[in-house]
Amino acid sequence: MPFSLSQPSRSRNPAPSKPGPHSSQPGFNSVSKYFMSARGRCPQSQHVEEAGVFPEGHTGCSAREPRQHLSPSQSRLTGALPAQDSGSSPAARWPPCSGGAGGVAGGAGGGNDFQWCFSQVKGAIDEDVAEADIISTVEFNYSGDLLATGDKGGRVVIFQREQENKSRPHSRGEYNVYSTFQSHEPEFDYLKSLEIEEKINKIRWLPQQNAAHFLLSTNDKTIKLWKISERDKRAEGYNLKDEDGRLRDPFRITALRVPILKPMDLMVEASPRRIFANAHTYHINSISVNSDHETYLSADDLRINLWHLEITDRSFNIVDIKPANMEELTEVITAAEFHPHHCNVFVYSSSKGTIRLCDMRSSALCDRHSKFFEEPEDPSSRSFFSEIISSISDVKFSHSGRYMMTRDYLSVKVWDLNMENRPVETYQVHEYLRSKLCSLYENDCIFDKFECCWNGSDSAIMTGSYNNFFRMFDRNTRRDITLEASRESSKPRAILKPRKVCTGGKRKKDEISVDSLDFNKKILHTAWHPTENIIAVAATNNLYIFQDKIN
Amino acid sequence: MLGRGLKRKLSDYEENMAGLSSAFDSSRNLTYPLKRQLVLNMCLTKLQTYKMLVEPDLHRSVLIANTVRQIQEEMRQETSQQPVNVCNGLGLHSQNYTGVDSAGISAQLLSGVNQQESNCCDSRSAEEPIENGLLMVSDDDMSSAISSILKDLDFMEDISPPTCLVPAGDDQPKSPENVGLKLEDDRQELKGAECVFGSFEISNSTSYLKDLAIDDIFEDIDTSMYDSDFCCPPQMPSRVPSATTEETLKTFPTCNSSSTNSIQICRTDLSELDHIMEILVGS
Repeated sequence: MPFSLSQPSRSRNPAPSKPGPHSSQPGFNSVSKYFMSARGRCPQSQHVEEAGVFPEGHTGCSAREPRQHLSPSQSRLTGALPAQDSGSSPAARWPPCSGGAGGVAGGAGGGNDFQWCFSQVKGAIDEDVAEADIISTVEFNYSGDLLATGDKGGRVVIFQREQENKSRPHSRGEYNVYSTFQSHEPEFDYLKSLEIEEKINKIRWLPQQNAAHFLLSTNDKTIKLWKISERDKRAEGYNLKDEDGRLRDPFRITALRVPILKPMDLMVEASPRRIFANAHTYHINSISVNSDHETYLSADDLRINLWHLEITDRSFNIVDIKPANMEELTEVITAAEFHPHHCNVFVYSSSKGTIRLCDMRSSALCDRHSKFFEEPEDPSSRSFFSEIISSISDVKFSHSGRYMMTRDYLSVKVWDLNMENRPVETYQVHEYLRSKLCSLYENDCIFDKFECCWNGSDSAIMTGSYNNFFRMFDRNTRRDITLEASRESSKPRAILKPRKVCTGGKRKKDEISVDSLDFNKKILHTAWHPTENIIAVAATNNLYIFQDKIN
Repeated sequence: MLGRGLKRKLSDYEENMAGLSSAFDSSRNLTYPLKRQLVLNMCLTKLQTYKMLVEPDLHRSVLIANTVRQIQEEMRQETSQQPVNVCNGLGLHSQNYTGVDSAGISAQLLSGVNQQESNCCDSRSAEEPIENGLLMVSDDDMSSAISSILKDLDFMEDISPPTCLVPAGDDQPKSPENVGLKLEDDRQELKGAECVFGSFEISNSTSYLKDLAIDDIFEDIDTSMYDSDFCCPPQMPSRVPSATTEETLKTFPTCNSSSTNSIQICRTDLSELDHIMEILVGS
């Protein structure tokens, strides 16, 4: 049941002092203290945020003493969040959220209140969005120090997190451009007279094994392995070459010298090391690196192939659901992923809302699944569009490997791998759209493929919605929150205000009605830092980074 | 939602559809059959639009085709439960279809149906205008969607062996007029939907050259093989006796190499063509 946020009796009073436990654990138990500087230096952006201005009415904020770790009650609560009184525990304060339509709690936190704050935004601010700039994938690497984005123009931009710097305390944790390169070019398939889009569908990082970083990026047809390496020294004093590169005349060389390494400005180079091509007839929708760090899978609409990272001229087909007669086709593969720990297990989801778990040890061609996950349909909510909205757009294993999460059009479901007949948790993302399905079908929005992600401790999940809203659900407390990625709420260190969609009846202040939602502003791609509470949200051509950080 | 390919021009039809879909959502004045018809129209329009794209999205096409099939199934079940000739466009189609199956289609039947249909529409003119709009839209657009899908199929047949072709029975000769027949809307829609994937087969197969039977290279030599009798007939595969299947395969070697039968037939044709080649080369 949605409950109102901005009740006049409780909003502006600063919270009384109350000592609370200090938690250093990432996830929703952690405590929001430190408001980050919002200086973005994206070369593409014309917008540079200013640091140093606190939002109005900001009292009792920890920012005055940035290094001090304060208790939850001392943090500033703005607007929509109710103030705490001394006695009651936060859990008793508000009713558990059933994940219903647009219901928003003040903070999706376990026991303590904390907020998400704006950190940075990358990308141009003008209204005219070039289609090539639209971000099509976002991914943190294993350590979280690097954040990669791919766009429709085939470019990959990698951001690196700044190291902590005592002289500039507010800039810790900022992501700045590390490398930009053109990963894929548009191609023309002459045999079929088709243009192959250069849009990057997915980026997946490889675990780091040496100083260089490796990632896989894919468009519809070709996967490429990129090596991103740093060069901060160069050799001087070659024997056969002059400093400017001209070859020296061998007869003039009278003495030999050993070249010495001299420091130079840091240069980040990206080079394609492997190109895995010509293995997919249909459009690649997923790639997933195996836990053995030697193989990976790529999935298109009807087939899944297994590759070895070293071998580019062959791949093994492990799943093929193409019927002998294409007329009989009723189901396509929509996403696939390897299990994070068991290198022989992977799952793939389908357009019919089912997930199949396969074990590669059972047979070479994994057409027969080991487990089949499907939730029986609820007859009361059946409509013409039931099948379309049941199509799974993303599947992600939890970090623990015990659960997996699937995203269909209206909900996110968490499945226990040991239980096939129904999910263990279901979260409604935007149930208020159920009554608008025909219009959404008409304008093709019903086919939008939203992704979902886990936080580092698997206690929370996040997914996107329309109107640049994105939703987060805390699995432990069952609280959820709707936030917006917009330039208006991107003031430096500003706390994000929870948003609410009004489903009917009287629209309250700060609520937005379903009919006012902008369906062109959709957040399809989000990523969560593997260990900390840092999230990256792609809103069309802008990348927003929000943080909640313990100092 | 940034589509590529065909730029859609806003037409009266589309304006109608936008208004209708919001009417659908607000659930006013639309009965269930009308809602169903609206959804069916939208599906067919989308399929038609996708066919015009250079590279339609397989995922979307499958979802839409499944929706169409589901609606078709529902309609068939409904009409099979209603022996009375209900005067609405859909019931009429389905009922007459069963008659069509057993006998050949004649022009008389065609005009008869048209008459009945016009009667049908007239009788409903007294009802709410939105329903009329829906019906008018549905008849015109279903047939236009279907005929355009079929046109594409014809085109596909010309350039390659049709994988979506269902063997036609000899006892049911088809004439070109049948293609545009409204009677068979249901079946044709279904076929149209299913044949969407036929195009994927053809355009997306990497083994295009390998699968291509030798016959097609010599198309211009022997055109009698490509008779108009074998335009995509809206027949359910289960209804065709197996004897005719073989015969069809003889004249239309399909891309499917799964049956050894077709391979043997291909070999026969190959030797024939070898012979022709020798003559041409003049050896």
